[in-house]
Amino acid sequence: MKAWNNPTGGVSYRGMPGEEFRQLVDAYYAPLHRFALSLAKNSSDACDLTQQTFFIWARKGGQLRDTSKAKSWLFTTLYREFLRGRRRADQLTALEDLPPGESDPAAPEVDVVTGMDASLTVEALQEVDEVYRTPLTLFYLQELSYKEIADALEVPIGTVMSRLSRGKAQLRAALERKEAGSRNKVVPFGSQLERKQR
Amino acid sequence: MTHEDAKFILHAYRPDGSDAADPTFAAALKMAKEDPVLAKWFERQQAFDRAVAAKLRAIEPPAELRAAILAGGRVSRGPRVAWWRQPRWLAMAASVLVVLSGGLMFWPKAAAAGGPILAFVAEDSRHSETHGGKGEPSGELIARLTRPTTRLGDGLPVNFDTLRSTGCRSISFQGRDVLEVCFKRNGGWFHCYIVRQADFPSLAALAKPAIVEANRLPVATWSDSAHVYMVVGEASLDALRRLL
Repeated sequence: MKAWNNPTGGVSYRGMPGEEFRQLVDAYYAPLHRFALSLAKNSSDACDLTQQTFFIWARKGGQLRDTSKAKSWLFTTLYREFLRGRRRADQLTALEDLPPGESDPAAPEVDVVTGMDASLTVEALQEVDEVYRTPLTLFYLQELSYKEIADALEVPIGTVMSRLSRGKAQLRAALERKEAGSRNKVVPFGSQLERKQR
Repeated sequence: MTHEDAKFILHAYRPDGSDAADPTFAAALKMAKEDPVLAKWFERQQAFDRAVAAKLRAIEPPAELRAAILAGGRVSRGPRVAWWRQPRWLAMAASVLVVLSGGLMFWPKAAAAGGPILAFVAEDSRHSETHGGKGEPSGELIARLTRPTTRLGDGLPVNFDTLRSTGCRSISFQGRDVLEVCFKRNGGWFHCYIVRQADFPSLAALAKPAIVEANRLPVATWSDSAHVYMVVGEASLDALRRLL
């Protein structure tokens, strides 16, 4: 017989206090899931990526000397796991060679975004090319600075700034398309995202 | 610094002001303060960024995700499709169901109510190496679970308080007791989780066993007047179904 009671309601990981792990999960599982949702484009894979990231932390996170870097470590690990699953390095390089887009298209009215369903906004974000979408999502999550994003993606700082600028241009265009599309039909809340997740 | 240079840099300035102390932005911010055209552009850009960030924050993760993470994460590495969800196995399972469908259970069936506890037990079952003594004697319950002719849905002899002191394992989930008993049947190991119905009112009361999907695993669940039972197997879906 083995009685295994954990007063925190969670499960202790090997070598890591359950309460400490729970705090880490509570602080970051939601933004990590949002980041994963932006990358993977469906909820099931996003959940897998988020769980996998914490699982790797449970196995290796204790080796991190500077625990203040846990946040960056988690986002970086999730992104690497995503890339590992996709193995799309060649395509990413090809996307980087795209000709420059519009330098500074007119920003849509903020009202367009604020009046839009969150799921529709995320759909628009998911239409942005992956090479721009990754830093853009990290930027909008506001958890990491542009320098930390550069570290996580292993690209120079200037590249992050360039991708943010181009990514925002693509996002604006996608939002305008979504907005134009939704003007002519009534969409129940959440149905768009759910359909995409199936 | 030109307008375009400043805009290029300011695109990376987070709308919540986290970067206010970063010297990289100092010159561009100063220019935006002094130049009315750039100031207007920056104001609109920040408002747009704030709006998008707020929409992204409004996306909530699935309710069971946190519980699943705390239950131990994934055993395997990398996103994958569970073997029993692969098309060929689903096709085989569907064929079996067509032949054997008797109204006892439906597959797949959404784990509607009580998702977190179902996700928790599904995930916990993946870590059976931490469960301790499997199949150690705990009285009549183990004997009944192990007996080849027992159909679990016909009723199990459970005294919750007694079992807590003699069972395989006792876990606390959200401050409430979850008892777990490991047993071997039809050549495979199974994990029977038992909770008090009153502790988990959101769990659907099912008089007859049903197999539901929780955290990508099939879980057989049913209830009696006082308890809810959840059985997860390390063997096949068919082996789990044969227990019921």
